[in-house]
Amino acid sequence: MNSLVKKQRRFILCALAIPVLLLICFVVVPAIDLIRMSFTNWDGLSSTSDFIKLDNYIAMFQDPDLWQSLKNNAVYFFVHLLMIPVELGFAVLLNSKLRGAKFYKTMVFLPYIINGVAISYVFSYFFSPINGAFDSILEALKLGMLSQSWLSDPKIVNFVLAFVSLWRFSGYHIILFMAALQSISQDVVEAATIDGANSWQMFRYIQTPSIMLMVDFVLFDNIRGAMQVFDIPFVMTSGGPGYASSTFTLYTIKTAFTFSNFGLAATMAVAIMVMIVIIYVVQNKIIHGIILKGE
Amino acid sequence: MKPVRSHSARAVLTQLLKQLICIAMVVIVILPILLTLFASLKTKGDMVTSSPLALPPQVTLENFKEVFGNKYLLIGFRNTIVIMAVSIFFNILLGTITAFVIERFQFRFKKVVVGLFFIGMLVPTFVTEIARFKIINGIGLYNTIGAPIVIYVASDLMQLYIYRQFLSTLPVSLDESALMDGCGYFQLFTRIIFPLLAPATATVAIIKAITIINDMYIPYLYMPKNKLRTLPTILIYVFFQRYILSGVAAGAVKE
Repeated sequence: MNSLVKKQRRFILCALAIPVLLLICFVVVPAIDLIRMSFTNWDGLSSTSDFIKLDNYIAMFQDPDLWQSLKNNAVYFFVHLLMIPVELGFAVLLNSKLRGAKFYKTMVFLPYIINGVAISYVFSYFFSPINGAFDSILEALKLGMLSQSWLSDPKIVNFVLAFVSLWRFSGYHIILFMAALQSISQDVVEAATIDGANSWQMFRYIQTPSIMLMVDFVLFDNIRGAMQVFDIPFVMTSGGPGYASSTFTLYTIKTAFTFSNFGLAATMAVAIMVMIVIIYVVQNKIIHGIILKGE
Repeated sequence: MKPVRSHSARAVLTQLLKQLICIAMVVIVILPILLTLFASLKTKGDMVTSSPLALPPQVTLENFKEVFGNKYLLIGFRNTIVIMAVSIFFNILLGTITAFVIERFQFRFKKVVVGLFFIGMLVPTFVTEIARFKIINGIGLYNTIGAPIVIYVASDLMQLYIYRQFLSTLPVSLDESALMDGCGYFQLFTRIIFPLLAPATATVAIIKAITIINDMYIPYLYMPKNKLRTLPTILIYVFFQRYILSGVAAGAVKE
């Protein structure tokens, strides 16, 4: 028995050595460097920088444009969060008896295949105020009066951008859910069918609980994605008009590369990490504590 | 699996409803792409005068010629394939074995290891890029295709979740009986666990391939030599050049 324990230990060590080493070199060390940078006034170019204690953190909390940007992140977060049950439903639908399921699976995944920058250009054209495709569609449907300045009205621009983000990432979540649904053993599904479970009961009591690990990942990915959304607003509106469609990450990158304040940008990046963890913990408490109570 | 033909009205109605939902989805997905494709086939003049919904009055392949005439296209294509194949190989190998160890074994420092991987999902890459750049440069990988490969293998850990999801549905008794029969841990992994994870591996390979093909930022940053350019960098730049320009023009009018 003792030799088995030894063997097991050796196996674990061999298996984890390389992944953990890679992770430390390319993720953990840069992250520690990031935290160190957040206490300095480094400009991104000089070889030296001064330790300025908490000045960056104080400056960050006093920056109104940054907090306006954070409010925009919330739009992306909630729009995507509301769609997650729909995405889960879609995954179940595509996994069920469905004519042409293969075609629909390809279609649902199509937006994710396209490059993010390309998508942003596609939708810049789609929502363009001059000869834009979306306004033309509205006119063709005799709904011309609904036409708006989609990308320059501060009241709606974030929702338009969140829609683009939704268009891009929903397929990714659906594919992840579909992969996870395939991991459910057929015996369980058959047993439930024999016991007379209907589709809703199957969805609620068999399929969703069985893929909770993946649901957790998608919920986490949503927070991460919403906090780090960058390319869509960057290409489509560059955060404008003013800071109306700026996001936390967009603002961070501007701070670093436009205003050459890497120290402050590092502070903001640390804030992003902290916020992701806090939202994740709170969200987990809510979802596991209230909605899924009793499972 | 053969489609089971059900004759009850209810089943027909359900199928009809499902089809309607799916068709609506297809329209939402296709419409923006299709209209942009129309635009890419139009000449500059036609783009201004004709409705965005109209088919191009005369098809021009000028924009595509520009893309495929680029001399770096072929090199870019090769580099992309090499980076993709090597990265995916290691992602799958390391991903399966890590997920297996984390899901199935108890060991000291397990919490630390799991915590490290969680941090790996947290760190926003854009600012840490500076620190990462120093390391890549320090080990001599700058301006080689090794740089993006190492980064793709080390970061983006979504495969761990897919594999853990699949492993959580494989019975532990499977491992136990294999070990009982004198199978070693490596054999258990290579002969039994890895093959059973094949459906998950297929998904991981597809998603990784797409992520890598679409990423133009890391290759751009770490291998700026033209010879090392990967495909999308050029494609995106050339193909969307005129959109970038017209986008700038539209922006000027807006403000």
